[in-house]
Amino acid sequence: MRTLLLLLFAVLSSPSATAQNLDPRDLLNPLGSSWPTYNGDYSGRRFSQLSQITAANVRNLGLVWTLDSGNDPIKATPLVVDGVIYISVPDKAWALDARTGRLIWHWENKSRGGTHIGHRGMAMYGKWLFLVTPDDYLVSLDAATGKERWRTEIADLKLDYFSTVAPVVIRDHVLVSPSIESTDNRGYLDAYEPETGKLQWRWYSTPNVGEPGAETWPNSEARSHGGGAVWIPGTYDPELNLFYFGTANPQPVMAGQGRPGDNLWTDSIIALNPDSGKMKWFYQTTPHDTHDWDSAETPVLFDAELDGRKRRLLAQANRNGYFFVLDRTTGEHILTTAFAPNNWAKGLDAQGRPIRDPNKDPQPGGALVIPSEEGATNWFPPSLDPKTGFFYVRVTRSVAVYYLTDVSSKPEAWGGVDKTVLRGPSSIAAIDCKTGKVVWDHPTGVGAVSGLLTTAGQLVFAGDGSGNALALDPVTGRTIWHVNLNQNMFNGPVTYELDHRQYLLLAAGGKLFAFALPEP
Amino acid sequence: MFKESPFRSNLHASSAKIKASRLADVILCGLLAVLIFWPARLTAQEKKEPSASASEPPNGGAIDESLRSIYPNLPPDQDPAAVARGKGLYGANCTFCHGKEATGGNSGPDLLRSVLVNHDEKGELIGPVIRQGRTSKGMPGFNLGDNQISDLVAFLHQRNRDARLRFTYKVSSVAIGDPIAGKAYFESHCASCHAANNDLAGIASKYQHDELQQRWLDPAGQSADVIVTITLSGQKYTGKLKHLDEFSVSLYDSQGNYRSLTLNSKVKVEIQDPLASHRSLLEQLSDTDMHDVTTFLETLK
Repeated sequence: MRTLLLLLFAVLSSPSATAQNLDPRDLLNPLGSSWPTYNGDYSGRRFSQLSQITAANVRNLGLVWTLDSGNDPIKATPLVVDGVIYISVPDKAWALDARTGRLIWHWENKSRGGTHIGHRGMAMYGKWLFLVTPDDYLVSLDAATGKERWRTEIADLKLDYFSTVAPVVIRDHVLVSPSIESTDNRGYLDAYEPETGKLQWRWYSTPNVGEPGAETWPNSEARSHGGGAVWIPGTYDPELNLFYFGTANPQPVMAGQGRPGDNLWTDSIIALNPDSGKMKWFYQTTPHDTHDWDSAETPVLFDAELDGRKRRLLAQANRNGYFFVLDRTTGEHILTTAFAPNNWAKGLDAQGRPIRDPNKDPQPGGALVIPSEEGATNWFPPSLDPKTGFFYVRVTRSVAVYYLTDVSSKPEAWGGVDKTVLRGPSSIAAIDCKTGKVVWDHPTGVGAVSGLLTTAGQLVFAGDGSGNALALDPVTGRTIWHVNLNQNMFNGPVTYELDHRQYLLLAAGGKLFAFALPEP
Repeated sequence: MFKESPFRSNLHASSAKIKASRLADVILCGLLAVLIFWPARLTAQEKKEPSASASEPPNGGAIDESLRSIYPNLPPDQDPAAVARGKGLYGANCTFCHGKEATGGNSGPDLLRSVLVNHDEKGELIGPVIRQGRTSKGMPGFNLGDNQISDLVAFLHQRNRDARLRFTYKVSSVAIGDPIAGKAYFESHCASCHAANNDLAGIASKYQHDELQQRWLDPAGQSADVIVTITLSGQKYTGKLKHLDEFSVSLYDSQGNYRSLTLNSKVKVEIQDPLASHRSLLEQLSDTDMHDVTTFLETLK
């Protein structure tokens, strides 16, 4: 009996006695005390059920711990599983004690190159972690020790593919995809086996010869070098068994004369079966893009009643300045609205797609275009609060002159440049998902790029362009709390609960900050 | 939605919605001021670091080093003399099949997109193909010496590097408008602050082409002091704005003293921004106006 008691005591008093483990089935639950994936859960809403921190007490938040990871800004969303935080920057990963911020292990990639521009984060399956490296490896680590289990090459580094995406685990599939910088490559999405790293299937972002959509390209050369990288982690509906993600711009980026046509499936939202890699439907948000307006932004899943009918829907605030709502079962278009200024579209077509004004394509003498290639928003994770029914998104305002520099019939790479003439103010906008109307717009100064988090405590967390972290009222946009972290936030804030205490985890520059209410 | 006057309408919308907050008095000014400060602070927007950072070169001679820290896979800069010789050789031997710009021709593939060319470092892969040809695909072998091969390889790698680096791209003439219409626009929109025979005299000798166009559209690079006036309990402080955000404001007064204040509903902040009219111009400027004004400014040699 005494032994049993001792044993019980040991189990209760030592959280590390239970190894960190994530059953893929756990990912089907709503977001609770942990933060087990890039978006927290499969829906992409970044809405946490935790409600200990509220509008009434958020002013009492205090710093519990802070950690300096180095000079690289943290753009990754951390994972929090069983009391351990997993965080990354390009080529580096750390496991930290979520209670204290103390280091458990550190892993570093011996890099052979690749564009070092950002890292979105990791994924977990059982006791294993997965992350990509700038030099195009998918790496699996032992979550307990940080020891590398295997690595597999996912793209040809010499062709200038590089990798930043956070993998997404769906059952026994690890979904990853490389990015494209300037070279005329073809985008794709891969599924790998979590135990071995073996490739299960590959889906290309442009059609194969004879496939529907191939007719939107002039020839196979343009089609098979047509871009459309998948560089933001997607979302998933387990009941429909569909994985949703966006594709990036076509290549060459700004010179479109060598690729007349809509250039499917670039700048599109895609629904795909994760077991077969087969596309179920697509919706193109920017036909024949010449401004680098990737459609990679997170497609967020939500359900709502429309015209008396309960609908399974998907919303995306796009880099091109438009907000789209689609039926996520069929891809049927529901609504399109402008959430930020633009001057490049002449209106919407019958499918709700913006109609491009060819005068606003890059021109040899320049064309003044709103927004710049930074877009009306970018990779910053948005959030959707099912209680308000609002979609929260980081908005940036800009004007650029787009120049066409390669006027040949076969341009290469960028083929043009855009020069920003106004880098205007950013804001956080709340968009009503049912109407697409901007309900409020909270200015955050120039240079604010953080992602967003909403919670059942009725708060929106974000950063501004002056190094402040903010908590806003989700209904009115009013600031309720702020703290100056001295550096701008880049990633999406997350929240978790340990020992009945809710933590708010922010990253500003290369530093992590964990906040909580005072202990009772 | 915001098409008529994008920035103005949006600013108004924002300020109206936030009336209830402590910001009501300062938000509009705040936005304008914030427009000016931190112009280049936005780092790494991801995937491709867009606009300012990516389309403009990093400073000075450390170009290659600083680029390589972000883009370690960039082909290195080649010896210009070798590139020039290689270009000549390419023109004589390769253009017919691979195209004038090495982007593919009637029968030969695009050499910038070629997997083999991209995997080559110093001719170890390209050299044998040039010498032996690819007879199954109709390419004959070429009897070239080692130096010639190495010059051709330098040319191809430089082409590849230049295609990847968009800030090396040359903008063609921007003086494509009507100088008379540009002069008329200048007189009606710009002449209250600028004169062709005074502050802008010789501007076209100082800045050329797209740089001239960039300068007049976005003069923010020039230091222009933003003046802020803060009123608190009847007391006024005026000076050069240092910082303004949602929560605080700071300035240097006429004696050079630094002052800062926490913002609340009792603090009133007014901003005088000398570049405000430049920014509001961007809301209404058509492409034709832009080309006309640039073409007129190009005459001010």
